[in-house]
Amino acid sequence: MRALEGLKIADFSWVGAGPRATKELADNGALVVKVESAKRLDLGRKSPPFAKGERGNPDASAFFAQTNTSKKSVTINLADPQGQALAKKLVGWADVVVENFGPGYMERIGLGWAELCKVNPGVILASVSVAGRTGPMAGFRGYGNSAAAHSGHADMTGWPGSEPHMPPFAYGDVVAPMFLTVAILAALEARERTGQGSWVEVSQIEPMAHVIADLFAEMPAEKPGNADPLMDPHGVFPCAGEDAWIAIACEDETQRAALKGMLGEGELAELTADHDAFELAERLAAAGVSASPVRDGKALSEHPALRAAGHFVAVDHPVLGPSAMPAPPMEMEATPHAVGPAPCLGANNTEVFEGYLGMDRAEIDRLAANGVIA
Amino acid sequence: MSQLAGIRVVVLADRLVDLGAKMLSELGAEVVVSEAGDGLSPARTAAWRAELRHADKPLAELLSEADILLDDRRRTTQRPEVEALAGSNPALVHVVATGFPLGDPRPVTDLTLMAESGLMHVTGTPDAPPLRLPGEQAYALTGIQVATAALMGLAARRRIGRGQRIVVSALQAAACANYREAVMFDWTGRIGRRQGNMLVRGTSGVRQVWPCADGYVTWSMIDNPGMMRAVVAQMEAEGVAGELSDIEWEDILVAETEQATIDRWQAIVAAFFARHTRAELGQWSLTQGWGLSTIMTLPEVRESAHLKARGFFRNGLPGPLFQTHPPEVAS
Repeated sequence: MRALEGLKIADFSWVGAGPRATKELADNGALVVKVESAKRLDLGRKSPPFAKGERGNPDASAFFAQTNTSKKSVTINLADPQGQALAKKLVGWADVVVENFGPGYMERIGLGWAELCKVNPGVILASVSVAGRTGPMAGFRGYGNSAAAHSGHADMTGWPGSEPHMPPFAYGDVVAPMFLTVAILAALEARERTGQGSWVEVSQIEPMAHVIADLFAEMPAEKPGNADPLMDPHGVFPCAGEDAWIAIACEDETQRAALKGMLGEGELAELTADHDAFELAERLAAAGVSASPVRDGKALSEHPALRAAGHFVAVDHPVLGPSAMPAPPMEMEATPHAVGPAPCLGANNTEVFEGYLGMDRAEIDRLAANGVIA
Repeated sequence: MSQLAGIRVVVLADRLVDLGAKMLSELGAEVVVSEAGDGLSPARTAAWRAELRHADKPLAELLSEADILLDDRRRTTQRPEVEALAGSNPALVHVVATGFPLGDPRPVTDLTLMAESGLMHVTGTPDAPPLRLPGEQAYALTGIQVATAALMGLAARRRIGRGQRIVVSALQAAACANYREAVMFDWTGRIGRRQGNMLVRGTSGVRQVWPCADGYVTWSMIDNPGMMRAVVAQMEAEGVAGELSDIEWEDILVAETEQATIDRWQAIVAAFFARHTRAELGQWSLTQGWGLSTIMTLPEVRESAHLKARGFFRNGLPGPLFQTHPPEVAS
């Protein structure tokens, strides 16, 4: 048995911030039905890289595949009133509804919180957006990196004295969905005790502020760069080869002595320069010093410790073929996760509409012919 | 928040579980720190541990009545006495946080975990060494996964009728955040590099950070015709749109435009932004859908009217993890 066996989720979210929140739930046994449409394709399906370079194939995106493992996919045209009625049936079936639409969209398609409570008392609605659904900025439309700007991250990133620096990836689209996963699990725990559902809503700005709570406690006037208030040395140092670096951090005198014993006295940047970063990091780690090579994408993909731990699971996908997909970063000893492939667009229409919602075949065919299941 | 009211959590803290413990406390659990590793600055202590209660009972007694144990093994891999005590409470969800997976005892810090994750390699500028993200993000990412594991353990306990041991690896938690570099290498053979504040697609790049009259904003000239038209409309109202007025944004792809042309267009935008304050640009973005964000300093974030309206900061530190709304009952 997996940890969340029996949990039913209707997932209306798309791109990164919502889908990442339900990935781990699906890998841990929740039945996650992803609601999408060929008429308004999830931008994640249009995001590179693509298997065989098939940019126009909605099932060829490796980005989408790694964000949506273990889920099922149905296609519903939410712009059509009959599609909205069908979505309502799915909501009635679900324990949890997830969405990351723009402000007001759920209300416009008849799935606002008040309506959900009528359709399915006890349901949990989980929403994630840049600025949240209340407050003066509730209508703000932006991206994952918008939260880096509004939370202080961008201002605190970079070398001291430099202009603000945007994270090189949408970090808000990483941290916020992790908070949404926690919110969903907490709301489920509360429902077990009270029988009541709730609407949990995450603003991307707030998790981004949470993860730099130490900076809010310190309020530094300048960006810290790679410096640390207590550890010394603490930074990255050049190694042999192009753009090759080693990170070294010493927490105490024992580690400093071990570092000195291995590299000798002098400027660390000069002492590391002729070494292979990977070999030196292994030797320093064996001597009790925190040291790691600064890995690029290739070295991360080939990371021996991650490979040994089953971090990248080989999953067979109908279009991508055998592919490495990230597993949840935890091992549950009694209820292990199992990572399955991401669904092809609409692959589970029959299974969900007929099997879970109990609709008859003729009705499904009629809705498909009318562009509702599409 | 009170979702976890009545849940008892015992913490052995050494950085990897800090945020996880704080999150469970925010959710209403009764969190007790039994052991806390040293080496925290006063600010970090205030941020992560100040609101947690310290134990006034022996660990054995605490664990006998606990629901969750957060067991931080950043600097130790073996804890036979803790394992034995945890094993004596079959209902306990025992979350063990390690640096590397599979019992690898190598020492880790936030910096070395960020180096391992592949994120440092792409953060910073091409002419400078790799840079970490601000704060301690590998610890933070691990902490969130620790909270997730604890909650997952509670959910599983309802299904199987007992607790279990769950091992969370900080290396894996940090690697999960890097959703792009490994998959990009796997499928294209391309290796990402540090690009500073340039958003590079194909052979050209666009700016992400722009000075304005009183600070900086972030915005990019991307292939979103509606957004581009909205920005240019405001520039036209001020008579400063220049050649941008003549562009049919639906008919071009910025990502496939020559760098020299992009640079010329960006110079027009830069002059426009430089004439306005963050408040002006931010308000237009909010009402006209520009996708522009004002870059705020830490003191400004604390004083944000939006975050105040959401009751976010408490004594200067982040408070609620999210907003919770009760069911709406029809009248």
